[in-house]
Amino acid sequence: MAADIGGSAIEAIGLRKTYGHVLAVEKGDFCANFGEIHALVGENGAGKSTLIKILCGVTQPDSGEIRIRGEGLTLSDPQHARALGVGTVFQELTVMPWMTVAENLLVNDPPRGRSGLIARRKLPARAAEILATYGMPRIDPRALAAHLSVADRQLVEIVRALQRKPDILFLDEPTAALSENEVDWLFEKVKALREAGTCVIFTSHRWREVESLADRITVFRNGANVGTRTSLSEDEAVQLMTGRAIDRAFPKPPPLQETKPVMRVRELAGEGLHGVSFDLRPGEILGVGGLAGHGQRELFLSLFGAQKSTAGSIEVEGRRRRIRRPLDAIRAGLGIALVPEDRKAEGLLLAMSVRDNLTLATLPSLSQLGVIRWRAERRRMNQTISQLAIKSSAPSVEPVGALSGGNQQKVLIGRWLMTDAKVLLLYDVTRGVDVATKQEIYELVISQARAGKAVLIFSSETEEVARLTHRVLVMREGRVNAELTGTEISAEGIVAAAIQNQDGRSQRTSSEGNEVPA
Amino acid sequence: MSTQMSGAVEKQTWRSPRRHFVAQNSPVLLSVVILVVALTAYYFLYYRQLGALPDSFDLTTIVDNALPLVFVGLGQTVVVVTRGLDLSVGGVLSISVALAATQMGHGVGIVGWSLAILLIGALAGLANGVLVAYARLAPILVTLATLSIFDGLAIMLLPKPGGRIPTVLTNVLTNPNRPYGLVFLILALLIWFVLRRSSYGVALFATGNDETAATANGINVRRTKLWAYAISGVCAAAGGLFFAARTTSGDAGAGTPFVLTSITAVFLGGASLFGGRASAYGTTCGAVVLTLIVNVLFFAHVNQLYQSLYEGLLLVIAVVLGLVVGRLARRQA
Amino acid sequence: MSDRLTLEQRPAAALKWVSTPDRRKVVFAWLAVLVLFVVGGLVKSGFASGHSISTILVVASFTGYVATGQMFVILIGGIDLSIPWVLNAGAILLVTSSLGHDSSAAQAVLLTLGLGLVVGLVNGLGVGYLGISAVVMTLAMNGIMQGAALGLTNGLTCSRCTASTPPVVHKAVLGAPLGIPNDLLLWLGVTALVTFVLSATVFGRRVYALGNNEQASFLAGVNVKVVTVVLYMLSGLFAALAGITLTAYGGQPTLGLGDPYLLQSVAAVVIGGVSILGGRGLFLGAVAGAIILTTLVTLLQALNMPDYGRDIVYGAVILAILLLYGRERDLG
Repeated sequence: MAADIGGSAIEAIGLRKTYGHVLAVEKGDFCANFGEIHALVGENGAGKSTLIKILCGVTQPDSGEIRIRGEGLTLSDPQHARALGVGTVFQELTVMPWMTVAENLLVNDPPRGRSGLIARRKLPARAAEILATYGMPRIDPRALAAHLSVADRQLVEIVRALQRKPDILFLDEPTAALSENEVDWLFEKVKALREAGTCVIFTSHRWREVESLADRITVFRNGANVGTRTSLSEDEAVQLMTGRAIDRAFPKPPPLQETKPVMRVRELAGEGLHGVSFDLRPGEILGVGGLAGHGQRELFLSLFGAQKSTAGSIEVEGRRRRIRRPLDAIRAGLGIALVPEDRKAEGLLLAMSVRDNLTLATLPSLSQLGVIRWRAERRRMNQTISQLAIKSSAPSVEPVGALSGGNQQKVLIGRWLMTDAKVLLLYDVTRGVDVATKQEIYELVISQARAGKAVLIFSSETEEVARLTHRVLVMREGRVNAELTGTEISAEGIVAAAIQNQDGRSQRTSSEGNEVPA
Repeated sequence: MSTQMSGAVEKQTWRSPRRHFVAQNSPVLLSVVILVVALTAYYFLYYRQLGALPDSFDLTTIVDNALPLVFVGLGQTVVVVTRGLDLSVGGVLSISVALAATQMGHGVGIVGWSLAILLIGALAGLANGVLVAYARLAPILVTLATLSIFDGLAIMLLPKPGGRIPTVLTNVLTNPNRPYGLVFLILALLIWFVLRRSSYGVALFATGNDETAATANGINVRRTKLWAYAISGVCAAAGGLFFAARTTSGDAGAGTPFVLTSITAVFLGGASLFGGRASAYGTTCGAVVLTLIVNVLFFAHVNQLYQSLYEGLLLVIAVVLGLVVGRLARRQA
Repeated sequence: MSDRLTLEQRPAAALKWVSTPDRRKVVFAWLAVLVLFVVGGLVKSGFASGHSISTILVVASFTGYVATGQMFVILIGGIDLSIPWVLNAGAILLVTSSLGHDSSAAQAVLLTLGLGLVVGLVNGLGVGYLGISAVVMTLAMNGIMQGAALGLTNGLTCSRCTASTPPVVHKAVLGAPLGIPNDLLLWLGVTALVTFVLSATVFGRRVYALGNNEQASFLAGVNVKVVTVVLYMLSGLFAALAGITLTAYGGQPTLGLGDPYLLQSVAAVVIGGVSILGGRGLFLGAVAGAIILTTLVTLLQALNMPDYGRDIVYGAVILAILLLYGRERDLG
């Protein structure tokens, strides 16, 4: 290894990158050394991923300087970065789905025969060797990546980066999909790399991981470095990340009335979902927790008819409902604000106006014989806009894509408030929005519950699930692993309930469907 | 907390290599089955009509007739892997037929013109590639527009069917008395074999799988797509040469049917609509099946005018079968 | 950004109307129509006369009809490659079922329109329910219609195939009791109706929503499959309508009658500023696109350009427009 431990490995000086008129990185300063594990933290959209993409050559900065081993240079493409010893595990998986594990692992350096052609027969054996070396012999090199679980795909991604033996390794959210054992496995590898003098830079949303692993921590906010420290408490970090001491006082959910459930779900099953039952009462906020990819998303999609359920029943207001498509759910009085991994993919019509987005699910009630009643539409739209304080200069023509992330999110929620849904399904609605909007959304959730709406809520921030709800269903492997009420509810309690197995044995999910329905 | 590695404590749950092979190649294997069915039907109807089995002359003729489509299909396969489509293959083939019919007898001679035609095909393909890969326009619209332009150019070169194709070309490329056709068929498959095992092949399939992932793995997606269209252009031009070789005179409308048939051959061959999965072996099976259909229809006393109806039906059936097989494979896995 | 704000502050209604890029494209397209007629009038006397304009518009209306259908499917990110032979089969069906008799003309017209609807239904089912890509499904359908039309009429040599358009159909399309040909009134009506449907009805809003984001529309309760099927049926219907009017214009169907109309339909839609990715664009633009194409070719023919030049010009125009409009980045 060419690295001199402690020497500067990779540096960014005043990087700047804009996408259209959106500023991703404004003042990207960053420096990591050989032989250290460097954590990069910040809120969603703070510019961490963009910085990493720039530093490994995927994206070119508008301006600024990159130095590797103290030498200033321009990275033309990922190949160039790799040649300089930079390896990356990306947040969005870069495993090719319709290639085998072996082809994926060896995409850049396949074994070749004497003729110079790739020896396709040798691929599996060579890949098996690599997987064994890195302690993952369980993964079948001949399997198509598409048929692996999300966790296994992530492992393939990590092994591929490791076997290239980088001097500088970026890990962007590597643990999100992994089980505890696998996280331990990864950390062991990372620590070994540090001992060998490698520079490891990683991002994580789990403070525990940052705390236990990082030698130094750099905090990003609004596209700029706001501090690099050797030690940092969680509170300090939050303060740096958000720019102010946010009061972590979540609004309290209103007291719960003893009423008949508005919704009863029994043994709901489908792809990735193996029998989920619960009751939901008016005014109740029911949280859904658990590790990522354990059926939460499938639960929301199935309840709303967006994913086929193979068994189980759904009752709304005492009437059994067959929900086979979203239209059935809307008619039954359900509303869903589903914010997917990528908000833009499933919720909004970005090129269409704020008005069109808001009223899309309410159109039948705003029309006569199929013709839209302009005045009624405008009136309802204005009501919702003022209720949610959506900032738009010309809502009838301004495309939703031109709004800020927080306002986009409000439009998405506003669509379902307009339908007067009795049950609101909120899937990760605070993802990627600023702190102020988050606070507004909390208030909104509480006020909806106070108004007698039932709310089912999932958030990738466990803290939110813990603080906003009356009750929490903790999911594991497509089932409810535990139900927490009252004082049992806490972020730690949810995480603990998510990893404990009913038989008390640690076990991992097999390759069962974590795939998103098309 | 135990720090034991999860992988080490669990037993291996690999499936056998053969099961993997069958599952991952089921669409191509299906196309082989379709080919066998078509061949059986052909032998049966031939025997019923003529009281004898087809001889080597018949079989050579079938291979010769299939060759233009095999080559056009090979190029189309490469483009389909990248999630694109090349409708302009018809126009390129027409240009190459028109050139063969009007120019081959003169100037730089047959070999020279053959190379020139391939080069023109490559340039036409490169034009498509630049527009798709660098100007980022939709492949279907780009190639629809260039199809129109190439068709126009072909008519400009050869306004009326006519001209003369040198007999040497016929004797070399598609001699019904010698199995040269088989040699060229094997050559086409060999090209694919090498392509699949080259760095470009890896880049091609990675691009078709997921462009972002490919880029992150250091693959130049744009350049890969550019060359995919260039390859398609060369293959379409080669298809034109083989087409011209079977006829004595040229027709500027020769390429039109190849738009439908080349795409049909690719999907009969088990290509995925969603990119990243296609095989020229399958496409070749598809091309031969489509050629056999003409003979089967003839022996079954079906009016040849219905040909494109059957081709269209086959395309739909092939694609639906592909979707079904894909769904089954997913359930199996 | 600032550009739009200043525009909105002004009271002038006309300026406010062009405040979105989609509307600006429509304005550009109609300006191009104007420019073409002015240039035509300058280089060829009589080109911009009332009679000449009327003739050009009638020819443009055939493109206009197929472009209407094509626009419906392009709005949801699809495409209909089956237009040529649906049109051609429709034209053949019109004369073979009426045999040129006025008495059976009404049935024949209904039958022809029904054919378009049925073909569109099959296309829509394939795309919407089976999940076949639009290109592949409609390409296959084009082949199927071609094979069926050729086979059933034995290459248009059947005894019935020699019949002509019933005179009453000819009169209904090209007669001009109100001073301008009925066909143009029909096109005007279609334009008004389609514009209304797309801009003021729930269905229209859902079409745009679907074209913008299928998954989001599905989650908002839009019946994606039904809307898809209806749009492909409309495309088939308009192809058949073009077949009827074109046969009324030409007297008899020919083989390959529909072939130029695939490219023309796509070109008209693209020139009119409709996004080929779906979800954006106004119908008035496609109308202008149809007129531009026809006027351009009429002008070039007037200047003695050979026939094949038309193909080359169409292809080049599509590419040029794509390069111009394709540059506009989507938001977000």
